[in-house]
Amino acid sequence: MASTKYTKMAYAHADDMVFGTAKSPVSYGFGIKVGAGRVIPELNYAPRPGSEKDAARLKKEYVDYISKDVLERAVTVGFPDVQMETEWVSQMGQPKMAQPVVEGQKAICEKFHEEYGLNCAVRHTIPDQREAEQGLRVGMKGSHAYPEHLFGCADVACENGADVLSCETMGGKEIADYATTNGDIVAFLFGIGYLGSIDMEYVWSEFVNIAKKNKTVAGGDTNCAGANTSMFMAGGFLDNDVQRTYSAVTRAIASARTLVAWECGAAGPDKDCGYEGPICKSIAGKPTAQEGKNCQCAHCDLQGNLMAQICDLWSNESVEYHPEFGGTSVQCWLGSLGYEVSLMNTAIATGQEKTLRDLYMISDRTRGPEGHILAYDNAYKIGEAITKEGNNYYLRAKAAGLEAAHIIKASNESKELALTNKQKDVLLSMIKELEALPTEESKFFEYCDKKYSELIPNYHKKNYGL
Amino acid sequence: MVSYKGVDYGKILKRYDIGAQNEATPESIAKKMLPSDPVYKKVAETVLYMKFKEVGPAVTEALKTKAPLAVINDGLVVGMEAVAKLYAEHIYYLPEIMMAAKTMEIGIAIAEKQIPGGRETKGVVVMHAAEGDPHDIGKNIAAVMLRSTGYTIIDMGKDVAVVDVVAEVKKAKPMMVTGTALMTTTMTAFPHAAAMLVKDGINIPFMAAGGAVNRDFAESFDLGIYSEKAPQTPPIADKVRAGYDWKKIRAEWENIVGGA
Repeated sequence: MASTKYTKMAYAHADDMVFGTAKSPVSYGFGIKVGAGRVIPELNYAPRPGSEKDAARLKKEYVDYISKDVLERAVTVGFPDVQMETEWVSQMGQPKMAQPVVEGQKAICEKFHEEYGLNCAVRHTIPDQREAEQGLRVGMKGSHAYPEHLFGCADVACENGADVLSCETMGGKEIADYATTNGDIVAFLFGIGYLGSIDMEYVWSEFVNIAKKNKTVAGGDTNCAGANTSMFMAGGFLDNDVQRTYSAVTRAIASARTLVAWECGAAGPDKDCGYEGPICKSIAGKPTAQEGKNCQCAHCDLQGNLMAQICDLWSNESVEYHPEFGGTSVQCWLGSLGYEVSLMNTAIATGQEKTLRDLYMISDRTRGPEGHILAYDNAYKIGEAITKEGNNYYLRAKAAGLEAAHIIKASNESKELALTNKQKDVLLSMIKELEALPTEESKFFEYCDKKYSELIPNYHKKNYGL
Repeated sequence: MVSYKGVDYGKILKRYDIGAQNEATPESIAKKMLPSDPVYKKVAETVLYMKFKEVGPAVTEALKTKAPLAVINDGLVVGMEAVAKLYAEHIYYLPEIMMAAKTMEIGIAIAEKQIPGGRETKGVVVMHAAEGDPHDIGKNIAAVMLRSTGYTIIDMGKDVAVVDVVAEVKKAKPMMVTGTALMTTTMTAFPHAAAMLVKDGINIPFMAAGGAVNRDFAESFDLGIYSEKAPQTPPIADKVRAGYDWKKIRAEWENIVGGA
């Protein structure tokens, strides 16, 4: 299936974007409507170690414990909607492990919808275990045959009742890991902006077909493997591995790549850990799932309030199932999510949503370059840079990175956004490197292919059909 | 948009990174740490300033008057120690560590050619990412850090089956084995592998690390020791080399990694 590239913005103005409403809302599951005027909590969880030992134990963990606890707590507290996200553990690559979980979660959602009128659904996010050295495409005959498994997992999820199909694809990670550990922004542009986009088109064309065949909604992807790696390595104020200006620019580059799932026909919502969601939503108008302050069980970030600004689903990222004083972990974190969402929905109901949106955003706007470029007005500008070059993966990813870098530079010069000397040095160096790149895709590829073939042993262009 | 003019953000959410910014320079650290001998100093500076095009000529020139092992230990390694100091003081970051290590490795390769039988390794370490786990960036960084401090690494890659790890340990007889895992359901491979090693009478430390792993888990099985961050791996390896077993490393863990 060919992808249809975005060359225009979905929204005429940045200010038109707000949480709970998307230009193209999506309905699925048992009464779930995303982007249709109400934010929905999305609860994500991980099974306890040991529960992956056999299919019966895994099903019991996901369905009888986790799902039942979540749905009961939603009714107990009075949340009208809840979405669950099952991020498959690697063992679910075997159908005998996955099938009972998917079927069981569907059945228990139906039960709670019928008994209590709770709107609910399950997103299934399948693992991308492909390895660059083993081959990223079907038919490459690596010993693991993971490309075949990837599509096989999508089949199992959709055939057995997944409401939303998602994935965190790994295309370009072999280059992105090198890029981030070596501070090489051109490598990141090549790995994620260019090769990652090509891989997304390959994977998501097939995913959309599989989802359509089974009346499942194809949700979307996230650059967890690339931009999140650099964001978490940049860390908080006590960390010292990667510069936050670098991670901000990688996020912008990643947005041009994550968009591809929607260009291939996915309808959203995209994935919560795709912090690039505000940029993608500004371009496509499809609903976005986001995470921030209510995902402290999984990790912290420096834009915990800001990320709520224009979300349609609000997520906790992931919590391991275990007991807490207030119930099980999934129940406690659903409470945290659900009350936050109720505040957003109260703001919508009282006509105050833009005020609350702005307060979320202003709270973290100057906390660091990563949050700064994702503030909805800046995210919109990066979206515009992408759509201007919308038909070319290389040029649009480069434009996104450069736009983000220029926004950070201008905000630093106007004293709105403080930077350390090191952050500034890295920023200026990235601008210089990106601006020096050729305007022709073929020259860029030729240069990068030669350079990174020598530096990165597991980079093989045939993984990308090149 | 709601106006935020005049808001003092420092009273709401503080930017500690701006406050903690270290104004020291690599040059000021170099002054304190680099050797006074101009030949060694020149070699050390190529590492400190990551001049990988200049390290070859500098080492070749040094080898005309100095012994190869001395060029390594008194030039290249001293340069890398200054880099580690800069990293510890938040002046250098991960990319500088990686580039400096690469520079040092180029220099070592040239000097080693002139040592009969090659340079003596500090020890062999087998490294892998757990079965089912495709995430190995942390393992790769730790591998560079170990290699640059003189250890020989057998890197088994990612998603490595438990049986393969055990077989490699039996074959290579390393001083330590390491595993990384991002997921709680893949880290369970570590106690399985450790139990198989114990059963076969192999009593080396099994370092468990990665996003999903915590110290409690790493110390929940025989042989298991913990590393929270990649830079902690070399000081732990140094203790293993000095004869510490896994029980002693656990007992003195805070002191061992305190400076990393």
